[in-house]
Amino acid sequence: MSGVSRFSTLPFGLNAVVAAPEGDRSVRARFVLALLAVTLVVVAFISVATGASEASALGLIRDWFGDGQDAALSARDRLIIYDIRMPRVALGMLVGAALAVSGALMQGLFRNPLADPGIIGVSAGAGLGAIVVIVLSGSILGPMVALFGIYALPLAAFLGGLVMTLSLYRIGTRGGETSVATMLLAGIALAALCGAVSGILIFMADDRQLRDLTFWGLGSLGGATWVKVTAAAPFVLVILATSPFLARGLDALALGEASARHLGIPVQKLKTTAILSVAAATGAAVAVSGGIGFIGIVVPHLLRLLIGPTHRYLLLASALLGASLLLLADAISRTIVAPAELPIGIVTAVFGAPFFMWVLLRRRGLLDL
Amino acid sequence: MISAQNVNVWAGRRQILYDVSLTAQPGQVTVIIGPNGSGKSTFVKALSGDLPYTGTVTLNGRDLKHLRPDAVATMRGVLPQHTRISFPYTVREVVELGLLHRSSTEGQHHMADHALAMVDLSGFAGRLYQELSGGEQQRVQLARVLCQVWAPMLEGTPRWLILDEPISSLDIRHQLLVMRIARDFASRGGGVIAVLHDLNLTAAFADHVAVFRDGQIATVGAPRSVMKDGVLCDVFQCALRVGAVPAHVPFVLPQTVNETP
Amino acid sequence: MRARFLLPFLLTVSITGGALAGFIYPAAAADDLPEPFADTSRLVSVGGSLTEIVFELGHGENLMGRDTTSTFPPEVNEITEVGYSRQLAPEGVLSVAPSAILLLEGSGPPEAIDVLQKAHVPMVTVPETFTGEGVLAKIRHTGAALGEKEKAEALAAKVAADIEAAEKLTADVAERVKVLFILSMQGGRVLASGSGTAANGMIEMAGGVNAVEGYQGYKQISDEVITQIAPDVILMMDRGEDLDATNAELMANPALAATRAVANGRIIRMDGSYLLGFGPRTGAAVKDLAQQLYGDQVAR
Repeated sequence: MSGVSRFSTLPFGLNAVVAAPEGDRSVRARFVLALLAVTLVVVAFISVATGASEASALGLIRDWFGDGQDAALSARDRLIIYDIRMPRVALGMLVGAALAVSGALMQGLFRNPLADPGIIGVSAGAGLGAIVVIVLSGSILGPMVALFGIYALPLAAFLGGLVMTLSLYRIGTRGGETSVATMLLAGIALAALCGAVSGILIFMADDRQLRDLTFWGLGSLGGATWVKVTAAAPFVLVILATSPFLARGLDALALGEASARHLGIPVQKLKTTAILSVAAATGAAVAVSGGIGFIGIVVPHLLRLLIGPTHRYLLLASALLGASLLLLADAISRTIVAPAELPIGIVTAVFGAPFFMWVLLRRRGLLDL
Repeated sequence: MISAQNVNVWAGRRQILYDVSLTAQPGQVTVIIGPNGSGKSTFVKALSGDLPYTGTVTLNGRDLKHLRPDAVATMRGVLPQHTRISFPYTVREVVELGLLHRSSTEGQHHMADHALAMVDLSGFAGRLYQELSGGEQQRVQLARVLCQVWAPMLEGTPRWLILDEPISSLDIRHQLLVMRIARDFASRGGGVIAVLHDLNLTAAFADHVAVFRDGQIATVGAPRSVMKDGVLCDVFQCALRVGAVPAHVPFVLPQTVNETP
Repeated sequence: MRARFLLPFLLTVSITGGALAGFIYPAAAADDLPEPFADTSRLVSVGGSLTEIVFELGHGENLMGRDTTSTFPPEVNEITEVGYSRQLAPEGVLSVAPSAILLLEGSGPPEAIDVLQKAHVPMVTVPETFTGEGVLAKIRHTGAALGEKEKAEALAAKVAADIEAAEKLTADVAERVKVLFILSMQGGRVLASGSGTAANGMIEMAGGVNAVEGYQGYKQISDEVITQIAPDVILMMDRGEDLDATNAELMANPALAATRAVANGRIIRMDGSYLLGFGPRTGAAVKDLAQQLYGDQVAR
């Protein structure tokens, strides 16, 4: 009759140190959070020290701690590290965190572990915005694109994502209440429409534009500049800042919308905040890096298996793990076919899909899908 | 006191509740019975604020429509019929969701353990909710609701438990356990409104019974006055007899358990 | 070493290939000249360089249809456009009632070519190689198909002389100029030409050196590699009205901004079909490029 606890043995022999009551995974969660933070720092450093050229980690350290007299880094290496790799690492962290947290939020909101940020239309809209600029900048949109110059593409992607999400939100909200089920279905319809318009544009495109389209769709952190980092940062930081406030509400929402209300959670406000933050953060991420998949689904899922679904820890852990994983994927994409670059979307898919498969097969039956 | 006045509820074009008025007093267990489709659950959902309704529902004298959800949450806990969870929460994590105000971790764990003990689930804190049977899950939810409205009286104001078919998936021992919790809650000053299918447990534990039929209240009153052959036959459309002993088949009445001190 | 590149190379090639409409690789070898068309009164030419050759061989008046990449000579604007060479619609091509069709290697999609074959219109696919010899082969091949072998030989000889003269200009140059050909810069990512492309071929003929080594085709190049390879000159296509990357875009990429090429303002833009067409004007294009690359070092 008495239940057998699965959690009486904590990993790394911590059981002896901390006698946490059964069913309380917060100690383990905090430990994992600390571990992830340290991992991120290490991975970030490795990323800055790795690349297609020979600018080295040792040189970097000497540069920081040296007395400046000794030119520990050549001017070119300095350029590579400070102006090419560092903004790229910063951007990778922002994008990875944004995608992972957005995934976790959407899964919590839709109460489904298969949800990802694309479910509210951000990816489809952003993709359409990008295709419009790529294909039409030579003709109809010429003057407008010329006005924004190099920012035309990211801006269009961001606006596309936002417009799609807001449209879905309006469709799904009646009488001040948002039905996530309606949003889901409307999302399918709108995505199909986006696909049709994209198709027309693809038909109109020439070789070069098709190439641009394809590579944009596969995602890349190439061409990262400090400007892009500062442009994307506010949106990502916003979602990280609002996450703690959404955490408890999302846990309660797991019981169902009615029960969440009975517990006093302002469910409508929760939905609106979550949807808008995800639209902004994912929109910004896709705008600066193109289409990168898998992070939004795999990261929260892995973490749930490790530390449980309690959002107070899950959201922050997702941000940390998402950032680390994306940096690792980027390091691979930068070095595996040097001097060319493999689009990062390929790396996340090639590693993400089999790993995800393996995890699912091992833990079959643990999750209610 | 929870009071409903002239409550009407529609589902699309179809009307489900017709001008229902009912008052539940604190210190009493009010049970709602009736056949399937008579509107019992709909009424309870309206009381819980889950469905739109016309008419007035007051909670401790204040109109429900004018109360903020977090204020209502401190006064009233609702136990739904089924709760499915899509993520692997542990039993403890589910139960502690009922704790509205964050206090010390130790205090929280203590309350959760106590609530689990009350529903006869001691030692289940570490189990995964998704792996439990339907009856065990229902008891976990009850433990959560108990954590939410722990004390039946808060600063002189009665608190409420609204239970929508709380014992449908439980075995007889646990059915009695849950009904005793409800009666205990009421005896300490709180109010309980429960929807039940079991007529015997209703007779044993209810202080006040409302019988629903076709979206209206057919009759209301103490069990003794409501549970009569005529009323029951009429409402449930089968030839029930109160107090009759069957001739050749054995019968096991939960009330007999009740009588044993 | 080869194995390391195989999988990613295949991936990228198949992706690019998949996005583009599909390629056909004809079986005909370069020296396998086709039989002349029976009737050359109504020609359709698919491929800019082929159209130019057709005009040079005096059959411009017989052209009833041409594809969108055929932009020279100016007379082509009078001729019906029948679609994009890689995305032909068979009905469009057949709508001008052609008696013969000339296709440049790489036209497609295969389904459209298939339909045209089923329509029993005589077709000749002209192979393409990105070298001076390749241009001559193209001319001879087209000439044979049009039944103008002598004129073709004369044209080939002239073009060969042009190209040879142009290549000679830079034969004795001491230091080769390193050239980075940028196809596009969408989203700040640099799509640069490796080996095996038209751009690469032109750079080599003009006496320059492709700054990029290590991959084939047009691919996204790693930013830090750009600083390593330190190109002297950046070469791009000019499609008018700043459609391609503007100088501002080049400056915005820190790796490019730090190159000698950008610092010295050595950014060359040339018309796409002129530079990369590998047709009769190639000799002039090589000379042009060589002069822009080497300036005073080159005899005029």
